[in-house]
Amino acid sequence: MTRTVLVTGGGGVGKTTIAAALGVAAAQAGHTTLVLTVDPARRLATALGLDQLGNHPEPNPKLKGLSAAMLDSAASWDAIAFRHAPGEIAERLVTNPLFEAVATRFPSGQAYAAAEEMAVHLESGQWDVVVVDTPPASGGIEFFSAPRRMRELVGGRLLRWLTGAGLPGRRGLFNLAGRPALRLADALLGGPLLEQVAEFLFDLRTTYDGISAKAGVIEQHFDEAATLVVTTADPGPLREALRFHEVGIEPSLVVFNRALPREWASIAEPLEDGRAATALNDNLARWALEVRRQEDSRADFSGRVGTPIVTIPWLADAPVDLDGLRAVLSGAPTLTLDRLGI
Amino acid sequence: MTAGLAIVAARRGMSVLAISMTEDLGLGTHLGVDRLGYAAQEVRPGIHALTIDRSHALDEYIRLQLHAPRIAPLGPVARGLNALADTVPGIRDIITIGKALFEARSDRWDVVIADAPPLGQVTSYLRAPTTIAGLVPVGRVRDQALLYRDQLADPQLSSLALVTTPEELPVVESLESIDPISESIQIADLITNRSLSPLGVSGKTLAELPAGPHRDAGLLHRGLHDAQRRWRTELPDGPEIPYLFGVHTPGEVAARIADHLGTEL
Repeated sequence: MTRTVLVTGGGGVGKTTIAAALGVAAAQAGHTTLVLTVDPARRLATALGLDQLGNHPEPNPKLKGLSAAMLDSAASWDAIAFRHAPGEIAERLVTNPLFEAVATRFPSGQAYAAAEEMAVHLESGQWDVVVVDTPPASGGIEFFSAPRRMRELVGGRLLRWLTGAGLPGRRGLFNLAGRPALRLADALLGGPLLEQVAEFLFDLRTTYDGISAKAGVIEQHFDEAATLVVTTADPGPLREALRFHEVGIEPSLVVFNRALPREWASIAEPLEDGRAATALNDNLARWALEVRRQEDSRADFSGRVGTPIVTIPWLADAPVDLDGLRAVLSGAPTLTLDRLGI
Repeated sequence: MTAGLAIVAARRGMSVLAISMTEDLGLGTHLGVDRLGYAAQEVRPGIHALTIDRSHALDEYIRLQLHAPRIAPLGPVARGLNALADTVPGIRDIITIGKALFEARSDRWDVVIADAPPLGQVTSYLRAPTTIAGLVPVGRVRDQALLYRDQLADPQLSSLALVTTPEELPVVESLESIDPISESIQIADLITNRSLSPLGVSGKTLAELPAGPHRDAGLLHRGLHDAQRRWRTELPDGPEIPYLFGVHTPGEVAARIADHLGTEL
């Protein structure tokens, strides 16, 4: 059975790097591993063997058992339409301007498309481990709420408002007679917008059974996965990490990235010799202030939530190759594959 | 940065409205209050602040901007349009950015500073007036959208400060965003945040030090600074805000940023 690790958190906290490092560790331990990532930095993509960006897994030529793929949500939307709607309607959907707008800019839609792609890989039977670097929208929470939101979208709440309780055929879809609220909305919005939306949703509704069933499966995958929330000790990422608890998602671990060594905050004998002594003493004193700030932030976070915390040291150099990715976890002895059920 | 800019403007005697455009992710605490509401509240002398709550904004948009009749059944309309805003990209965005632009047209404020969504989403908001004008061929929504489009495009009325940190992803994202953003609004400044000063100690000296915190902290600082310098050269010139070591409270962060911006802008 495939073990899933979801690595989530806001933008800029090192989530993609940590997902890649976990993938490397799992492959080295002998597991056939896929890392699914959203938008890696160029050098990190190269380290993952992702010169060719695409939805299809690329094996890493330098590490047996490791493959990586991009989660391309725009491409995935077309696949979703053809997977869940009859062919003729799918064709009409993907050429509808509203479909393109929804595919590229409806955040839950992008997150859902990514989740469906994830499910395709999880269910392929090819992988022992799939590590997913989740899309960063809303600090990562969007990914988890996407199945529910998609069900609501295709389930027709808006369509029912536009068409009334009984769904007519496509021809009589948009009828303002006896519907004062709709008439006012139509007058306010102007033009054929509401009618176009009704037609679009009518077609989209054909995907309901498929999407509804798939959304349930995806939610099951989420429940069974190990979920890591990555943060730094900075206020913005911490607020986003706390939101997981506020919306009732209980992660397996919270990872504090860019942690500084505790001993830097202890009293160190100042350097006395050499021209650089003053600069180095001042530098350590500045970073010691950061150590204390980080410790206070972690203590405050622990006081609010009961999730176990692990720390990953702050590395001066961003990983550019497999050795760099190995170094990420080498300073985090408590972040083991065992703890993730691998 | 939004809070810092608001403080700078208030220090210069302006009447300021600071707006959190999507949700209050810290603007309030940076300005000294726990939570912001939809109504503008005075958070410190010269500065009012609010957060845009979409259902309030939608109601206001329908009544004040689209001039819906007072006797109209607005409850069902608002519920329906709320669902529409969930579905049709551009509707949600124009309601949100429309609130900020609506306030900017008010005589009450000398300046309105909006804490915009992250780069991945901001172009969607900036393009919303054009998107909506493309979807709606006639009517009040279209008229309002065109008005907003022109307000955003006029550099006398609107401009955007792009904030980044000197690291690979933020720099690449910022550079890729300059052209799409510039199609809607003038970029007035590109501000680099969390910028480290040089250590002033050579790599050779560091390598000769005995193992311990002085050497390790020196190596980290020097390595981070070197990487920052490489990425900084990719960016156009603009104000730099130094890394604020050990600053705990959001209010303190905003005040320190304001001190630096005050001398740079």
